[in-house]
Amino acid sequence: MIPRRSTERGRPPAELTRWTRARVLVMGGLLMAALGATLARAVSLQVLQRARLTSMATDQTVREMEIPARRGDIYDRRGIPLAQSVEVDSLWLDPSMVGDLRRAARDLARTLHLDAAELEARLARGRRFAWVKRQVTPQEVTLAQRLEVPGLGVAKEPKRFYPQRELGAQVLGVVGTDGHGLEGLELAFEDELSGQSEKVEGTRDARGRNLLLQGAPEAVGRRGATVTLTLDRQVQYAAEKALDRAVDESKAIAGMLVVLDPRTGELLALAQTPRVNPNAPAPGIAAGALRDRPALDLFEPGSTYKAFVAAAALEERAVRPEDSLDCEGGSWEVGRHVIHDTHPHGMLNLARILAVSSNIGAAKLAQRLGREGMMRTARRFGFGERTGLALPGEGKGSIPYPKAEVTLATQAFGQGLSATAVQVAAGYGALANRGVLMRPYLVSRVTDPDGVVLLENQPTQVRQAVSERTARQVVQMLEGVVQKDGTAPRGALEAYRVAGKTGTSQKPDPVARGYSDKRIASFAGIVPADDPRLVIYVMIDEPKTDVYGGLVAAPAFKEVATAVLPYLGVPPSLSVLASAKKVPNPPPMQVKEEPAAAQPVTERLEQGSVSVPNVQGQVGRDAVARLLATSLEPRLRGSGRVMAQSPAPGAHVARGARVTLELGASP
Amino acid sequence: MIRPRRNTAPSPALPDGRSEPVRLSVDPVLLGAVLALVSLGLVMVYSASAVTAAEKQGNGFYFLERQLVAAGVGLVVMAAAVRVGYRRLARLAYPMLLVSIVLLMLVLVPGVGTVVGGARRWLRLPGLSLQPAEIAKFTWVVYLAYSLAKKREKVATFSIGFLPHLLLAGLLVALCMAEPDFGSSVELLVLLFILLFAAGTRLSYLVGSVLLALPLAYGAIAHSPYRLARITAFLDPWAHRHDIGYQVAQSLISVGSGGLFGLGLGESRQKLFFLPEAHTDFIFSIIGEELGLLGAVATIVLYGIVVWRGTRAALRASETFGTYLGLGLTALLGSQAAVNMSVAMGMLPTKGLTLPFISYGGCSLVISMAAAGVLLSLSASSAPMRNPGASRVRQLREQVA
Repeated sequence: MIPRRSTERGRPPAELTRWTRARVLVMGGLLMAALGATLARAVSLQVLQRARLTSMATDQTVREMEIPARRGDIYDRRGIPLAQSVEVDSLWLDPSMVGDLRRAARDLARTLHLDAAELEARLARGRRFAWVKRQVTPQEVTLAQRLEVPGLGVAKEPKRFYPQRELGAQVLGVVGTDGHGLEGLELAFEDELSGQSEKVEGTRDARGRNLLLQGAPEAVGRRGATVTLTLDRQVQYAAEKALDRAVDESKAIAGMLVVLDPRTGELLALAQTPRVNPNAPAPGIAAGALRDRPALDLFEPGSTYKAFVAAAALEERAVRPEDSLDCEGGSWEVGRHVIHDTHPHGMLNLARILAVSSNIGAAKLAQRLGREGMMRTARRFGFGERTGLALPGEGKGSIPYPKAEVTLATQAFGQGLSATAVQVAAGYGALANRGVLMRPYLVSRVTDPDGVVLLENQPTQVRQAVSERTARQVVQMLEGVVQKDGTAPRGALEAYRVAGKTGTSQKPDPVARGYSDKRIASFAGIVPADDPRLVIYVMIDEPKTDVYGGLVAAPAFKEVATAVLPYLGVPPSLSVLASAKKVPNPPPMQVKEEPAAAQPVTERLEQGSVSVPNVQGQVGRDAVARLLATSLEPRLRGSGRVMAQSPAPGAHVARGARVTLELGASP
Repeated sequence: MIRPRRNTAPSPALPDGRSEPVRLSVDPVLLGAVLALVSLGLVMVYSASAVTAAEKQGNGFYFLERQLVAAGVGLVVMAAAVRVGYRRLARLAYPMLLVSIVLLMLVLVPGVGTVVGGARRWLRLPGLSLQPAEIAKFTWVVYLAYSLAKKREKVATFSIGFLPHLLLAGLLVALCMAEPDFGSSVELLVLLFILLFAAGTRLSYLVGSVLLALPLAYGAIAHSPYRLARITAFLDPWAHRHDIGYQVAQSLISVGSGGLFGLGLGESRQKLFFLPEAHTDFIFSIIGEELGLLGAVATIVLYGIVVWRGTRAALRASETFGTYLGLGLTALLGSQAAVNMSVAMGMLPTKGLTLPFISYGGCSLVISMAAAGVLLSLSASSAPMRNPGASRVRQLREQVA
């Protein structure tokens, strides 16, 4: 044995045998060889197999992402935005990063006013992503972030914003949270408005999240098409205001109002009550409240239909203008049925039949026209066919063949057939437009962001409904309706000649299969009667105070016409001004409402400019109506009563000039 | 940093108050390679872990910070190893091995060892976490070097030179397999065979034991679904790239997509959660992806330098213990590096071995740097001596200080 001390540290290097050296070198060499193998492998992978492996990496990391285009805007005919898209924040959460989901859900729910249990369930379902609350306010974001919940993220989402609030809400429709149109024009022009989404190459991580390493693409250019409507914001505003008032005062359940330019078929206003605020979150809007009723809903038009019967009878020479018909003293048996008039009449000529709205007279016209004649009447004025409005689900109406004697009679006064408000307005448009039925339209132009016009609607003639002569005769006869001895003296205007027709129809009872005691009161008006520029059709659904169109609907017509005609620069009818004294005074109530209405009209006629009315101290809403009636464009700052206005009252400014109103709380 | 052998500047790695010229005789090439690898490791750990760290820990620097602390500790340990000298390890060989065995047992006790990814490999103590297997590999080398040097010619005999080491290895391997830690077990055996071979054990014993171990290894693989899966995935990663071969396939994609010059530092796409363990066992894939063939070759060359200078120091050692110790530690570093990189490039089945100096993991880094320190000490003492004997200790101190 070798002494222990020397064994501990082994032999000195000199004793390191050649064999040991060799074996150590072999081992060192083996290690070097192993490293050399890795080197060779690295060359193989990174040089020889590079292309294949790189494409595999690209396959899994690079994703073509679709970045949705910014939804296009909707404008009125004058370029005032009615629907715009803005970016808002939405809160989301990566539930896998939250330790105590129950607590996080409770905290978030309290801060964001959500249901805690529902939120927790929703968060629990999402593995790595769940919406907490979409489209939140900046304050909500701040409050939520203050909770310091791990994994809480903020995403930008586009939100549809309707700067005019309720104005034309049902026409425009709404957009869902996912950015797709759900109702109205938003749905009808979904493809155009949403536009081409852009494809961007982005890097994606293994969890499917998109990472834009090159930065977000330019927002410019990624826009949907712009939709320009024929609607006029001011006309729509006046229409909605007047309709609200009419529905309110008659305690009706609903109402619609259509304003149409008979020369072109352009719809200037499509109003309806009740209204909705499309900016409110979707759950706040009652189901069905977003139906665009004037275009979609069918109802029996009632006596407003008599004008079409009269026109067709004249056109087909079933009657001559000067002919008188026996109105049977207010009660006439047709088969097993008895037809009544509201007031008994004897012999009445055509004009008077329309003026007093004799059902018996109309029924006799229908008898003269015959069954085929009545079907032709409907066809002439476009009933029973869709007008071709852009709105989805537009009503067609039904014109059943009047087989029974009594059906022939009732169809003459607009019962037993159905139509939409737009159809009735368009029919009156044909009478107003020298017998030419124009196709009503709502969208004038769809333009993509590059300025390319995708769709343009031009005034389109549908057909010559009746001859120009017949149309003029009927319009002239209809002027009698608003005379003192007509059914709608409240529809008369001070400065314009009005041709109109009232309607008071019974609503069918869907349960009893007959007619209920519920009524539809309506008024169709043509102004000015001597050179028609507007057709205004008002329909009030189930009025309670009064049921007659002349009492309930005609004032709304008058209010709209009074506001809109000066705004459109329609010159007053000289014949009315000349015979102003002879014209029966409108009810004093209405005079009070619009005390200065006639004043600016005469001035503007002379100079093409208007005098700024004094609206100081008035409530903002009234001041706006007043300015609109004076063809001025109000600009509001603040809310409350008018504290200051610019230009000053009495100043002469060009029509359509802006008047800025400073609103504030009354002192 | 310390580069030339006659550098007059005091080293920042070995801080020191005195400004007088100090003579350093540690191998500057080896030191340079080790420091380069550690630096590369810090950069790559940050690059590979920042996204994961930011998401999981809410701090992108989370792993870098911890690795920096470990590197600091590693530098101190490395300096201490140089200063103390490798010879002291001879006396510590048995106690260290005993401690390692105790730690390996301790880690298996439920509640003491921490389970990560199905394996009980960590001892979590306040402020630090130990991986007993990492420590065991180091102490195993020290023990073998000491034992083989002591037994001299008897190494060739079966009963004294071969069997005791094999039995002890069996104990360590059994403990490691209980965690389970297949990679460390293999590593322990590889080290045993390298040192037995160097010490002159009969080749027939080595070959014979390998042949006898084959059925055991087969059993270990076949009876463990995850090991079998790893082998299957290794054999054809692309056929299993969506399940068991996922990691290997992703690693290959990483390395391959780097090309010649790489995607650029920090530009790895694979670290975006595609490649699991990007900052630990598969950090080489990210090096390959971000730094390309250039970076991969540089890394391999640095390990080559460590192997070269380590072997050189072993051959120049003044006694057998030093030679065996030098070879063993060189093998510890070199083989783990080669195995880890081979795994990352699909040349070997997944093992769970770290890349020395580079992979994230404090224990691994400190042990690797300790091993490097011992190799440096070896190189310093093997330098030509002018005043041998008692003054040697003083000289060493000066070199280090």
